Amino acid sequence: MTERTIITVDGPRTADHTLEGQGLFLDGDRAAPHPARFTYTDADQSLTIATPDGPIQWPYADIRALRDQSTDETLILRLNTDPTARLLVTNSDDQHLTRARAKQIHRAPKTAHRGRLMAWALAAVASVALIIFVLVPLMADQLAEYLPPAGEKALGDATFDQIRNALDDTGFTGIAICDAPEGRAALAKIETRLTDELVLDTPLTVHVLDHPMVNAFALPGGYVVFFRGLLDEAARPEEVAAVFAHEIGHVAARDPTRIALRSAGSIGVLGLLLGDFAGGAVVLFLAERIIQADYTQDAEAAADTFAHRVLLDADLPPSAIGTFFERLAEGRDDGIGLIDHFMSHPALGDRIAAARAAEPPNAEFRPILTETEWRALQAICD
Amino acid sequence: MTGTAPSDGLKTEFAGQRPRLFKLALVASFWTVLSLGFYRFWMKTRLRRWYWSAIRPGGLPLEYVGDPFEKLLGFFMAVVIMAFYIGIVNLILMFASLSLFATNFTAYAASLIGVIPIWFFARYRARRYVLARTRWRGVRFGLEPGAWGYAGRALWHWLITILSAGLLWPRKTFFLEKYRTDRTVFGSITLHQGGEWTMLMPAFVHVIVAGCATAVAGGAVAIGNPTVPWVGIVAVPYLIYGIIHYTVEAKRILANHKTAGDISLTAVPRIGTITRIYIFGYLATVLICLLPVIPITVLLGVIEMQKSSGLYDPTIDTTSIYGIPTTVWTALGIFAYFAVLLLWSVLRHCFVTMPLWRHYAQTLSIENPEALVTVSQKQRDDFREAEGFAEALDLWGAI
Repeated sequence: MTERTIITVDGPRTADHTLEGQGLFLDGDRAAPHPARFTYTDADQSLTIATPDGPIQWPYADIRALRDQSTDETLILRLNTDPTARLLVTNSDDQHLTRARAKQIHRAPKTAHRGRLMAWALAAVASVALIIFVLVPLMADQLAEYLPPAGEKALGDATFDQIRNALDDTGFTGIAICDAPEGRAALAKIETRLTDELVLDTPLTVHVLDHPMVNAFALPGGYVVFFRGLLDEAARPEEVAAVFAHEIGHVAARDPTRIALRSAGSIGVLGLLLGDFAGGAVVLFLAERIIQADYTQDAEAAADTFAHRVLLDADLPPSAIGTFFERLAEGRDDGIGLIDHFMSHPALGDRIAAARAAEPPNAEFRPILTETEWRALQAICD
Repeated sequence: MTGTAPSDGLKTEFAGQRPRLFKLALVASFWTVLSLGFYRFWMKTRLRRWYWSAIRPGGLPLEYVGDPFEKLLGFFMAVVIMAFYIGIVNLILMFASLSLFATNFTAYAASLIGVIPIWFFARYRARRYVLARTRWRGVRFGLEPGAWGYAGRALWHWLITILSAGLLWPRKTFFLEKYRTDRTVFGSITLHQGGEWTMLMPAFVHVIVAGCATAVAGGAVAIGNPTVPWVGIVAVPYLIYGIIHYTVEAKRILANHKTAGDISLTAVPRIGTITRIYIFGYLATVLICLLPVIPITVLLGVIEMQKSSGLYDPTIDTTSIYGIPTTVWTALGIFAYFAVLLLWSVLRHCFVTMPLWRHYAQTLSIENPEALVTVSQKQRDDFREAEGFAEALDLWGAI
């Protein structure tokens, strides 16, 4: 053991003879390394390096070692405040002596722009929010008005397939479309009765999906889709007709086209933020959003008013929608789908009342389906 | 030469051992998984510091001075811009595609094609960032701005390559490398890529021959006439070898034609060594990665066997298997999944990336190093966005 290593064990001392070391100095300006002697000046707690441009002083407290190096053979020193100059120390005694004195050697050197980082992080979140919640909906609403019927149909076809696949827990085929001929005939009878007096841009495409959710929804291009759960839950065919009329109202107003265009814009942005591992979840989330379509209160009210008029024109009672909601709200506390959606809507009571008010006193109604047809419709998935 | 004796050139050393890299990569990957990917900016920085410090031309290590925070910042900046592109542009594309063609496929295709120039742009910017944060002998490297120029040329050369059925691939390699090299600086000197694109053609012959053989074999199978299956068996490995051969040879030839003032490079990488590293490196990586999967596979096999022989009836208790709750089994499955992911990235560093870098480093030397004394520092390239676009587009690269 040399005299110098013994001193490191004792810690720095103010010796009358100075301790010296040998290193390689890079001034951070020229690509030329200079062998340099350096002196431990414990009196003023600094390292004095003899460079070709004269001696420079590095305070012990400001000396840092480069981190995550591939080997301990070379200790590379820098100054906290100087980003470029380096001192390479290869002698292990010199390395020990330096470590014993420069107590902050393992700390990270100072870097700037932490404040800017926060600003950009906020900007990233804000711009994503702005695009998803403001710009994309705004543009989607405008563009939906100009989409030609064929384009709307294509969008509806794609979305319909996506929803069927997203709701299928087990297989790869998507949940089944129910098409028992008698049931389809009954459904067609309701459709004819409702649309007889109507002029629609696109013909309707009506499907029943084999899923227990108590819900119905509309898609771009004239799609009106019921889940089996809704047919099971309805007490009378008039209630199905009332929901049907409401969904036709959304189709006529092109509400689903707006929602679908919005998803087209938002899906990629969410994917960008979350990365690929969340890709599947994003699709599921968007499919869910289209089904539980969060239309504005105005759009819902307009679809209701539309439904009232269509139902009256077809000699059907608008109040049927009210009785359907009421029974769902009373009868089940595990209500899923439609009832959740409408219950979360503050105006549900108003809507039931509006449906009642739309019905003129002493109005005469004709039944929509025979008892046999109604049973056939409820058995459409069997 | 002005009187000085000709030197033998600066040999490059590689001062790094597997255990240390393994520990660093393991710890960093672990934190990356745990932080849902956000630690990846730190992981990249730390791994680069390790690799750079291991590469020592003339005994003096490179230094990587990149900062993880600036990478995170760059990622956020890229998200701000990309979110706009992906949100608004995709919406308009979707509308146009539905209106004009009544399908949404055109929109997806257009959106994908639209990303390609940004991808090349991001590659150049990422390289510029890495070079700006690389130092040797205390002096910075750098890459002149020109990312859009690079993107344009990349598109052009790719188009030619595709139109020539891949035959002109070396032309693309050369001109893109020349564009990058001629804009690369080390302090006060600028690099230069000499030579012609045709000098890479001989190295490409194996790929052409193997490519044709593979196409013939593939075509024969496609028309239901696999009369010569051995052609495929020989052609595919030969094609893989051809690609490795070309990669190594192109690197070697291009390096030997790079100059910076009076300084030049000599590279002598060996194709056999590189091929060995790829084969045994990936073999070791895959085999060790399978270790966490083996116990689970064995267990599932045992359960299946008992089910079929009626020894085990899962319907008795659906909440547990062998008295252990199914949630624990699920947790074990997730653990194994992440263990494999983690091991894969860590072992690939130890058995593939590091040996490759070591070989390329040890076979590289710098001629006429005396001229380095005249090199002086370059202005710091305050490059705010770092490699944010490359991150946002998920261009991971080797490190």
